[in-house]
Amino acid sequence: MKQKLLLAWMIFLISVPLIVFGQTREVSGVVKNSKGDPIPSASVQQKGTTKGVIADENGRFTISVTGDAPVLVISSAEFSTIEILVGTSSSYDAVLQEAGNMSEVLVTALGISRKERSLGYSTQQIKGDQLTLTKEQNIIGSLSGKISGVQVTGASGASMGGTQKIKIRGVNSLTGGDQPLIVVDGTPISNANYAGSDKADFGNLAQDINPEDIESVNVLKGPTASALYGIRGQYGVIMITTKKGKKGAKKINVELNSAFSIEIAGNFLPLQNLYGGGSSQVWRTLPNGEKYVDMSVDESWGPRMDGTPVRHVFSFYPQDAEYKKLMPFVPQPTNIEDYYETGSNINNGIVVSGGNENSTFRLSFNDTRIQGVEPNTWLKRNNLGLSAGLDLTKKLNATVNFNYATNSAQRPTQGSEYGARYMVQWFQRNVDMKRMKNYKYADGTFLSWNLNRPSATTGEITNFNPLYWNNPYFEVYENPTNDTRDRFFGNVGVTYQLLTGLKLSGFIRSDLYTQSIEEKSAFGGRRISSYANGKYQNREFNYEFLAQYDKNWKDLSLNANVGGNLYKRNYTEVTGATAGGLISPNFYSLGASVDRPIISSYLLRKEVRSLYAMASLGYKNTYFLDASVRNDNSSALPLDNNSYWYPSVSGSFVFSELTKWKPLSFGKLRLSFAKAGSDLSPYQTSFVYSLGTVYTSTPTIPTLAVPDNLSNPTIQPAFANSYEAGIDLQFFKNRLGIDFTYYVQKNKKQILQLDVSGASGYGSTTINAGLIQNKGIELTLTGTPLKCKNFEWDATFNLARNRNMVVELADGLNTYAYGSTTYSSVTSFLNSYVGKPYGSLIGKAYQRDSATGGILLGTNNMPLYTDATYNFGSVLPDFTGGFQNSFNIFGFELSAMIDYQFGGQFFSRTKMLLAKTGMAPETAATNDKGKNVRDALVDGGGYHIFGISAQTKQPVDAYVDARTYYRTILGTQVYEEWLYDASYIKLREIRLGYTFQKKMLGKLPFSSVTLALIARNPAMIWQKAPKGLDPSELSTGSQSIGWYESGQANTVRSYGINLNVKF
Amino acid sequence: MKKIPIIILAGFIAAGCNKFKSDINTDPNRPSKASGIQLIANSELSLPGLSSSPQGEYHAQYLAETQYPGASLYPDGGTSFYGIYQGPLINLEKVLTTELTPVEGPVANQKAVAKILKAYFFWHITDRWGDVPYTEALQGANNFTPKYDKQEAIYDSIFKLLTEANAMIIAGNISNEIMYAGDINKWKRFGNSVHLLAALRLSEVNAPKATIEFNKALTDGVMTANTDNFTYKHLADATNQSYWYGQVVNQNREWWALTETLVDYMNPINDPRLPIYGKKNNANIYKGLPFGTTVGLPNTTGYSLMGTAIYAQNSPIYLVTYAQVLLAKAEAAKRGWIPGGDAEAKINYDLAIDQSVRQWTGSNTGVATYMTQTGIPYNAGTAMQQIGMQRWVHLFMHGYEAWAEWRRTGYPTNLVTPGGRAIPLRHAYPPNEVFNNGTNYQAAVQSQFGGTDGLYGKVWWDKP
Repeated sequence: MKQKLLLAWMIFLISVPLIVFGQTREVSGVVKNSKGDPIPSASVQQKGTTKGVIADENGRFTISVTGDAPVLVISSAEFSTIEILVGTSSSYDAVLQEAGNMSEVLVTALGISRKERSLGYSTQQIKGDQLTLTKEQNIIGSLSGKISGVQVTGASGASMGGTQKIKIRGVNSLTGGDQPLIVVDGTPISNANYAGSDKADFGNLAQDINPEDIESVNVLKGPTASALYGIRGQYGVIMITTKKGKKGAKKINVELNSAFSIEIAGNFLPLQNLYGGGSSQVWRTLPNGEKYVDMSVDESWGPRMDGTPVRHVFSFYPQDAEYKKLMPFVPQPTNIEDYYETGSNINNGIVVSGGNENSTFRLSFNDTRIQGVEPNTWLKRNNLGLSAGLDLTKKLNATVNFNYATNSAQRPTQGSEYGARYMVQWFQRNVDMKRMKNYKYADGTFLSWNLNRPSATTGEITNFNPLYWNNPYFEVYENPTNDTRDRFFGNVGVTYQLLTGLKLSGFIRSDLYTQSIEEKSAFGGRRISSYANGKYQNREFNYEFLAQYDKNWKDLSLNANVGGNLYKRNYTEVTGATAGGLISPNFYSLGASVDRPIISSYLLRKEVRSLYAMASLGYKNTYFLDASVRNDNSSALPLDNNSYWYPSVSGSFVFSELTKWKPLSFGKLRLSFAKAGSDLSPYQTSFVYSLGTVYTSTPTIPTLAVPDNLSNPTIQPAFANSYEAGIDLQFFKNRLGIDFTYYVQKNKKQILQLDVSGASGYGSTTINAGLIQNKGIELTLTGTPLKCKNFEWDATFNLARNRNMVVELADGLNTYAYGSTTYSSVTSFLNSYVGKPYGSLIGKAYQRDSATGGILLGTNNMPLYTDATYNFGSVLPDFTGGFQNSFNIFGFELSAMIDYQFGGQFFSRTKMLLAKTGMAPETAATNDKGKNVRDALVDGGGYHIFGISAQTKQPVDAYVDARTYYRTILGTQVYEEWLYDASYIKLREIRLGYTFQKKMLGKLPFSSVTLALIARNPAMIWQKAPKGLDPSELSTGSQSIGWYESGQANTVRSYGINLNVKF
Repeated sequence: MKKIPIIILAGFIAAGCNKFKSDINTDPNRPSKASGIQLIANSELSLPGLSSSPQGEYHAQYLAETQYPGASLYPDGGTSFYGIYQGPLINLEKVLTTELTPVEGPVANQKAVAKILKAYFFWHITDRWGDVPYTEALQGANNFTPKYDKQEAIYDSIFKLLTEANAMIIAGNISNEIMYAGDINKWKRFGNSVHLLAALRLSEVNAPKATIEFNKALTDGVMTANTDNFTYKHLADATNQSYWYGQVVNQNREWWALTETLVDYMNPINDPRLPIYGKKNNANIYKGLPFGTTVGLPNTTGYSLMGTAIYAQNSPIYLVTYAQVLLAKAEAAKRGWIPGGDAEAKINYDLAIDQSVRQWTGSNTGVATYMTQTGIPYNAGTAMQQIGMQRWVHLFMHGYEAWAEWRRTGYPTNLVTPGGRAIPLRHAYPPNEVFNNGTNYQAAVQSQFGGTDGLYGKVWWDKP
């Protein structure tokens, strides 16, 4: 009956076209993008009704509309929504602008949607598909190079869920710990990191966000954009918006996404393969005259590996098949490479989404399994996401976002003190890794390469406890670190349209996680057996209210917002570690501690109460003026002085509205000022004692101590004042875009634990101090340089230059010590000085002749060096950025992501120790007499040194003993020799994909299938530092500023395939 | 449902934005109050660190490095004193500057113990570095850049602190204290013994003053038995164990052998202490390693490594001992600071050897024979050398003290200069003082050593 009626209506409409308004009639059209290509599956709805259709794959739609002057709302993901007034025609083509254009609506601070043209500050938005090009698992890592002024530094363990750090517009805090706030759908979430500078790298917690759920990421680069976050906004905000289901005609979309990649360790350090383990080329012999490899020395200054039959370390184990046998002494050129395995990364996801006229939902599930390149390392992660919205009434809408992540991992070890990375610092070039792999004999004895020497009388070894290092396989199989984390974050909210233009909303937001870390150290290793277990639990809630008001008059528009937020955090830690060993092997429990275990607990409570307001006034859609203010009250500040204000003001001028110059499609000038802040952890305003070691005699004597850091009852928040000006230009119908920003950010009253003279009784004090200033420019060029029928090239180029200056420190102090590292009693520092850029590297340099600059030599012709006070300059880079290209050739899409850094420097302890331990190639090089530098001087050996005699000031041209030169002088003292420029250009991601559309898939039940080859970290295109080091992965878990590396893990390269199926 | 936002808004208005509960920022994890004794006990945990240091053993040449000669070659570079100020000294300063309760013993005695320990730590510091911050030190936020005081003035302050402590002690032991289980009379004798030994240190620079202070200490009462020894007792417990146990047992390090200088002095005369100090080698003899050997390092099994008692988990650390006091009295008698001349010197010298052997071995077995060995019986002509050598042997493993006495007396005279490198005469200042306290640091270096903060500047009392 209904169908007949409809048919009748249609006949009526066709025969009597457009005579009668207010009747139901059909209109049709094609949805296209700005280039004129059809957009498939766009949503077409009549405004104010429940009528809606989905356009077909060629963008065609037909919809029946009713009423006077009906309006069509046409939307599609990745495009901005438009409205079309239906007039007399029955055919309308809709042209949707790609997101990124200036008509775009952006999500700004506190989730307030704003037209980009009205913003007086720079923001840069990245779409979700740009973040998942190669299935990078850490959202922070996937931002690398994509946003100007945003620098991501990875750790070498990043491929296993390790640390990725982000810096926005340079270093803005003296402690270097300036990390932006991460906000997901309005919910601030923790990006904490439980890793230290050694042991396992547990990574930053933002990796719990499922990259497949991300619709877009918008980076608020500092106070001008993030002032509405007040006391949490000083270091910028990363606003993540997740994908949602779509309203409209009832439809269920199912999408499957699978990726598989292999992971390969690469970028190995070049090493020498002539000399083996030992400290002298003279053979050590057993009482029976047999030569043996000196297993007590973890260096390679030993005899030449010429095949001499010798007793290797395993020949001293009575359990070994080669016990007492002589075997040739030969190099193992790939012994370190042999240790690494081929890893894998398998990622599977499913998304079900949809909606109807008054509801939306999206449900996603993701499963990630990684096998690391280091043996016996793995990571598993599951993400579950649900977002749903429901119109309870026409005016009342409820939404929920729910994210659950669970991780468990057994990760590789970073740094050189623990785990296996000592191999690139202290090792013997003759150790056969394949021999080490069977690290355990049948009777349970562990095979080690590093033992005390055999008895000088019996020639036997009886003490098989490893000396300095464990067998690397012992480390990974017997001493694993396991961590798990369960996490929930999300929000529930209601929005109520009180009046036309006035919307009220309330949200409850939470971030809850429990992190566990378990460390084991087995019997039979070089360390006393132990077990440690820590539980870390975070409960963070935000209660939020927001009133939004929009009003348009003739030429005027107003957007006004008033809101409040209550932040409550309750965080606990319970950690325990055994002391004095474990009672029996293979039983790991705190209760198995031989002595009283070391137990600690920690509770943190913090509240911040905030009120805020902002208003934006527009005139003729051309001139915009914004102002905002926020008041924050933090419980961590002194009770009587805890309320602070954070204002901002900005303006924009869309001058393209006033010019008729054709090539210019859009032009905007912008200007802004803002102030934001940051505070501190609680309990730092009053004096407390720290718990000391208990003297466990009878009676037990408890002790308390004055802590090393002095608290401060007058602490204030840190403030940043930021000024910014910029211009956005689009030319030739958006074929070329230029976005240029100049900014100045002054960070004042920084809260830091300033190192003071220990003679004051304290090592440091919490103070407000300093003024650190960043000035910089950011340039983003976007464009489509080539566009033909079957070929298109899109490119985005980012460049940022930041100049940093430490303007002042505390009264009477002109040095801030960020950190130091000591080895063999030689220390180098990372200091900041008033009047200089942040982060000067300080250490021992060569003494140089003032006249010629030549290196001064002592009476033994060895280089002389300064004390550890030489300033080598800042470690910060000059330029950073990225270059993103995508090519579309006959439907094939090729994307390549490059990021780069110019300038900056770092100290490599690995390179230094390789020289010290005789593993570096130069320690076994051939000199200009054709002899090995290790040969005796009388035989023509020795290192050929040139310099100036410190005594006579005459040039010196001499040969010196190579071992003394490399081991005692360069490898121990002269840090200058081991500093490297950190410049690099890196191909970070590359992807080649092809999408099979429905028509190509025939009867298969898929709407589209995309197949892609992907590679993460495939190549370092250029770097100034030598091979084997990776200047883009200097970050370690706890190091805020990457300024030195020690035992940096190998680069991991991933190559794989990605399949995406939509039903 | 409609009301939720309104309720939330009302909640904000009602809350009163900046009025938190008064205890919201009170640290639930750490206490805001400590008893005097808890702080004193914590300071005492730092005491073994004044002795258990490879650097000290190298400076006195008790131990030689078997594996990676480095620190024993006397490299340049600063040594930090921060730990002593930030650790024990600031705790003691809190005890001295805050009001205490008598729950764990008379307040006067708690303060007296704090003064004695403060004097003892500063004595140790100034002997190692020279001028150091004293009057302006330990004042926290009131002065983050304390000036350096002259060593002479610091010695005056040490004598003053010890005199005051001696005077203020009243009857009544204290409890929960590590070193003497609270025995206040032992504390009193310890304080006066430090006074005595510190006075002796001034023998070359100001003998008249030294004599006065020495006698003052004697009058006030010094140690009278080995049970008075100021000994830190490590426990058979990982958190309270000997440094050397951690090195030798936990870390499997055979890095240290007795020096040839020590073994060649002790072994020919059958010193009964040698079997405690070191082990026999694989040839079943005592054999020391020449100090500073860098080339062709031999197998450790060929040399006398540290004795098991020295690195036992609960091995005691002897800091100030009765035998030291006796040797000081012997020297003072010889110098004529106290009456009795050589006869008095001999009595103290003989008793010192007896008490030293008892301290180290637990009995006096072998002492009688030892006293007949060549060079051992007291001889007025070589008394100063004999006392010096006995002191060096007795102070085994307390390298910093032995090093100070070597600098003062020149004994032993046959210490080695590794690779021609002379034995340091002081430590260079902590490297970060240049950044943290630059002006005062420069002034101190300038006034003492003409601007060079090296290892070979002489501290005030170190006169040729």
